[in-house]
Amino acid sequence: MEKIVLHLFIAGRTVRAERAIATLRRICEHELANYECELNIVDVLAEPQQAEVRRILATPTLIKEVPPPARRIIGDLGGDPHELLAALNLPPNP
Amino acid sequence: MQQFDGLAPHVTDDTRLRQIVAASADGMIVVDREGRVCFLNPAAANILGRRAEDLMDQIFGYPVLGGERAEIDLLHPDGQHSVGEMRVVDTEWEGAPAQLVSLRDITEHRRANQALRDAEAFNWAILNSLSVHLAVLDARGTIIAVNSAWIEFSRANGDLDLQRTGVGVNYFTICEHAHGRWSDEVNEVLEGMRAVLEGRSPTYELEYPCHSPQEERWFVMRVVPLRGQRPGLVISHTNVTVQRQMARAASEATMLRERLATLERELVDVERMAQQENSVPRRISATPLRQRNSGAFGTAVATYHELLDIALMRQRGIPDASPERGLRALSDTLGFQAATPRDIVEIHLAGVRSAGIGAPPIKQQAYLEEGRLMVLELMGYLAGHYRGRALGRMGDVDDGSTEPA
Repeated sequence: MEKIVLHLFIAGRTVRAERAIATLRRICEHELANYECELNIVDVLAEPQQAEVRRILATPTLIKEVPPPARRIIGDLGGDPHELLAALNLPPNP
Repeated sequence: MQQFDGLAPHVTDDTRLRQIVAASADGMIVVDREGRVCFLNPAAANILGRRAEDLMDQIFGYPVLGGERAEIDLLHPDGQHSVGEMRVVDTEWEGAPAQLVSLRDITEHRRANQALRDAEAFNWAILNSLSVHLAVLDARGTIIAVNSAWIEFSRANGDLDLQRTGVGVNYFTICEHAHGRWSDEVNEVLEGMRAVLEGRSPTYELEYPCHSPQEERWFVMRVVPLRGQRPGLVISHTNVTVQRQMARAASEATMLRERLATLERELVDVERMAQQENSVPRRISATPLRQRNSGAFGTAVATYHELLDIALMRQRGIPDASPERGLRALSDTLGFQAATPRDIVEIHLAGVRSAGIGAPPIKQQAYLEEGRLMVLELMGYLAGHYRGRALGRMGDVDDGSTEPA
């Protein structure tokens, strides 16, 4: 599988944002450890035009465009990591 | 995640249900497996700060929550932010699996909570800035809050982990099990606290010693009712050692001033009587005793020195140590030597100097303090001696019935 590219949109380094970042990092290091994984953090307070271009309605929002199909997740991203992977249409480690 | 089928198309009265959803104050959004908006009510559009037609068929996002609810930041087109609470249930939309997202704007609620937390933090900052040791008790006497000064004092006095004086401990029980000096006052303290708690008394106060091995300490315990809806007490302990020492010094100074004034009056009276009756040999006393009878002066200084030692023993609490009789005898001896107040001052200064030779500074200070009282006492007795002699002489002139004072 080609590289997985994730964009996480947050609004400032709040507790909610830090928790979402930690959850994603943990998933990249464990459930997606066998894939090349790129995680980009976008703070919409620092880059409001990014939110505008991507039509972000709320944060945390996680976008996966590569590999297709594109998926957009909203929420605290907590809970079962496999549920999040399923929502992203990503397979766990082979 | 809960299963919810209230918005499924097979519902018979679909129009009525949509009306209910439209009137709801909570935002409701139905999204498909890709997170695309299939349906939303006006409240949802309002919470997101956008028009409903701009949101329909747009990607909102597929909701993933760790628990029953999650807080999210809502981004408005004008750049403003608000805080939303999001809940999600599984549903069906036009025969396909979907998610019903309910949104509630909790920005004001969060602001109010934050304001409450700030106010509480501010109140605690004030309480923790006070040097008074404060504890709040509930109606059963359990400590429910203490300030920093209370904690520091408890730790400094051996209760390192606040097992005996911290939150959760029953203060009434602590008092009931008190021992040592406190044991005598326990019942009074308990009754005082209960009287305030039951509204029989507005406040209760007790001044008590709490000496450490290193220093003398005095505290005032104050008990006032806890103002508010919950019954309880606020207990404060204030260190009043400095105030007490100052009050003692002020009282001592007042007493000395009063005695000096009395002595001055007595000496004036004696002088007047002596002039009338010529009973005191003023001619000889014009010369200091030290010059006209150095032997008597030296003996008086030695006696005064001994009496200073007795006064110090009295100060240390040794029973029967009283310089009073010796001072009376010395005043009579000096009176027959026609001693004047100036002679008394010289004897006092020489006596204190003699006693202080070789003594440590703290003892020298004690000699000075005791000497200040003793010299006044000696002058009083000398005045009494002269007055007695004058009155005796006057009595001889009258009918002899007057006794010396």
